[in-house]
Amino acid sequence: MLRAIWLTIQNEARLLIKDPIVLFMLLFAPVVIITVAGYSLGAVYGGAGSSFRLPVVNHDRGEVADGIVDALRQQQSIEVELLDDSDAARRLVSHRDRTPIAIEIPAGTTEAVSSGQDPHLILFVDPVRRLEVGALELHINELCRKVSLQARATAQKRLEEADAELRANLRRLATETAKEQSQFQSKAAAGQAAIQASIRARIAAALQQLAVETSATLKTRQAEAWSDVQGQLAEREAILRKLQNYLLQLQVSQRAFEDWLAKLKTLAGSHASDIPPPPEFPTPPAADDLAALSKPIIPPKIDSTLPTPSPEAFAVKIPKPPAIGDAGLAAELGQFEEMRAPILPGYLTFVERPAIEGESTVVNAFDQYVPGFGITFLLIGMMLGIALTLFDERDWGTLRRLRVSGAPLTGLLFGKLIARFIVGIVQMVLLFAVGWLLFGISLGRYPLALLIPTIGISFASAALGLVIASIARAHDSVMPFGVTLSMSIAAIGGCWWPLDFEPDWMRMLARFAPTTWTMQSFNDLMIRNRPPSAALWPLAATVGLGMLFLVAGLIRFATLED
Amino acid sequence: MSSPSHPPILEAIEISKSYGARLAVDNLSLAVKPGAVAGLLGPNGAGKTTTLSILSTLMRPDSGRVLIDGKPPKSDPRVLGRMLGLVPQSLALYPTLSARQNVWHFARMQGLARVAAREACARVLDEVGLTERADDPAHSFSGGMKRRLNLACGIVHRPAVLMLDEPTVGVDPQSREQILTLVRRNAEAGAAVIYSTHYMEEAERICDRVLLIDRGKLVADGTVEQLVALGGGRPRLELTYRGSLPERWIDYLTDVHEIAQATGEGQLALEMNSLAQVPQVLHQLRAANINVLDFTIHSPNLADAFIALTGRSLRDNV
Repeated sequence: MLRAIWLTIQNEARLLIKDPIVLFMLLFAPVVIITVAGYSLGAVYGGAGSSFRLPVVNHDRGEVADGIVDALRQQQSIEVELLDDSDAARRLVSHRDRTPIAIEIPAGTTEAVSSGQDPHLILFVDPVRRLEVGALELHINELCRKVSLQARATAQKRLEEADAELRANLRRLATETAKEQSQFQSKAAAGQAAIQASIRARIAAALQQLAVETSATLKTRQAEAWSDVQGQLAEREAILRKLQNYLLQLQVSQRAFEDWLAKLKTLAGSHASDIPPPPEFPTPPAADDLAALSKPIIPPKIDSTLPTPSPEAFAVKIPKPPAIGDAGLAAELGQFEEMRAPILPGYLTFVERPAIEGESTVVNAFDQYVPGFGITFLLIGMMLGIALTLFDERDWGTLRRLRVSGAPLTGLLFGKLIARFIVGIVQMVLLFAVGWLLFGISLGRYPLALLIPTIGISFASAALGLVIASIARAHDSVMPFGVTLSMSIAAIGGCWWPLDFEPDWMRMLARFAPTTWTMQSFNDLMIRNRPPSAALWPLAATVGLGMLFLVAGLIRFATLED
Repeated sequence: MSSPSHPPILEAIEISKSYGARLAVDNLSLAVKPGAVAGLLGPNGAGKTTTLSILSTLMRPDSGRVLIDGKPPKSDPRVLGRMLGLVPQSLALYPTLSARQNVWHFARMQGLARVAAREACARVLDEVGLTERADDPAHSFSGGMKRRLNLACGIVHRPAVLMLDEPTVGVDPQSREQILTLVRRNAEAGAAVIYSTHYMEEAERICDRVLLIDRGKLVADGTVEQLVALGGGRPRLELTYRGSLPERWIDYLTDVHEIAQATGEGQLALEMNSLAQVPQVLHQLRAANINVLDFTIHSPNLADAFIALTGRSLRDNV
């Protein structure tokens, strides 16, 4: 089996080398078609496309009109031709080549824009060249949007400048007001302090005078009271002295009694003991104590100094002068600061950003067409190539002869499929190399990963070729059948236009086309710069479809050969 | 010549094949021994190609079986397949490849190693007289050269069983001669050869045995001599004359009879026992004042045998 496969591959290579038409179809034809399609349909993917002469009638001659004309002149694909007459512009659109559209900028456009109105440009269009008109209208629409945005930005800028000036004046006014207020408050505080000091001084003087007078009165009253007390004391001193003398006499009497008693007892002799003890005389006060009674009474010294009351106790609270409306002004100014200047309503627009950070939103049309048409020609080459070579083998009788040799039919078929499979991969690699060299296509971050979808589509195409060889009834029916099938699969799978252009039912159908998954992989790897892992699931889908084709083709072909 | 004791290397046992309602091969059996050339002789549509397709394992019979070297082909298709060599009626060549590349590819596919294949290519290209044109593409060859190259591709691996399906159709005499020589040489080298043709002369020349086939059936199987005898044919003399034949002129000739269906205006067909009677016939005609303008002597052959056995000409459908 392996030997048969290997020898068949070698023989296929010899047959291919000897067939210049096949080589032409494999390489030269795809490059030519890719070149034509890439340059012709580049605008679909945002490319420059064709160059147009664009008549412009400027009746406005204002700032807005000049801005539009300048912007149009900056477009690489547009050559502006200024005219004075609208009819001349119409005639150019009607009769001259490469002029599908003309613009009239009506008088007063600038003024209308400045005054907030919505002026209109007038476009004279050639309905026959709707596609070009559409492309140019996109440009003009973008310019109008830019001009409107610029006018709005200018108005907004002026509004903000006025707002800033007003705020500056208000701030200055607030500052001056605060300054005046501060001065007033200072003066009011000073006045209040002076009044309070004066009041305090007067109170202090009054208190001082009151204290002096009170002290004098107190001294007089004290002297008078003391004189009265001294009189009373003198009387009581005299009584005390008498009492003192009495006591002294009592002491003498006590001592005399004791002597008497002693003599009595002596006299009583034995009966002395029968004499009851005399009553005890109370202990007289100590002599010193008694002597103290005789001391003169010294009147206590009375401090007639009166406490001087603090003037503070008599301080008069003078209310502060009322603030001169400062709180209201500050609050209002604060609120004003928080307020924004009136802002014009925004202009809703969009900015394209790549889905993957750092990548471009603009696509080289050849990034789509090189793989797209590469796959198309791969399909044609593989499907027709395999089908025709199998029919050739039948027609030439070589297949019969080879089968007699004992080589298994599957080995022969696999040999042919593998040979074409390799050719398909080489074809795609060469086309990508040419695309890279001539058209600057992106090979993505992982150029080798492009082999993943290439392998898948080569396999599926080879298997489809076997299906065609087993279905087509004759050599002559291979070409129309194979071309129709390959073109249909290529078209439906998004090889010629983005898949999103297709209606839903066609996109659903496209899931069963290997080209769909392959184009998805190429777009992911080349344009979206995704890693190789992004191509694995589409590869599985492509190979899965290829396996179905292969099994069906093998069964059908083997049945026919039997 | 094959050895009588050698077992057949190729056998077909009661094989039948139908295409729809049409029976192409009808219970046909044959066996070919190494070194023998067996001719399949029959008109177009007799079933020769179908028989060869079945023998070469390209086609499965509806019934019956084929044995190669005593084994069914399916038992070891690779080994048994390499014992076979097929030279189909239609050319089986890659037109864009050179003669050498064609032969090389089939040699390799037949299992020859690179060195052996290279030697075999050189040898066989020399045998078919294409050494000088070995590197020219096959499509640039004349019909005869293509036929020789076709043969070379079938014998490059020295097959044990060589099957040729009308290999000389449309070739020049020189190429035909080379082809027949090579076939005979392969048989002498030990190959069992099955040679399908509707050219009776080729069968008579190179076949050790001839199998007469008609409508898928084996009509007769034997050596040329056996089949001619089986057909019961006698020598014929066909002549063109001027003059008026007298009545009963033939009565003077013993065992000579006029064949009615072969005669026409001024033409005469006679059947006799032996070619030795031809001078007597010519003498008798001269004696009768008949001017013989032309004559042809016809010995009995396989075509006669075929007609005798089937009632149809070998070239009915040519």
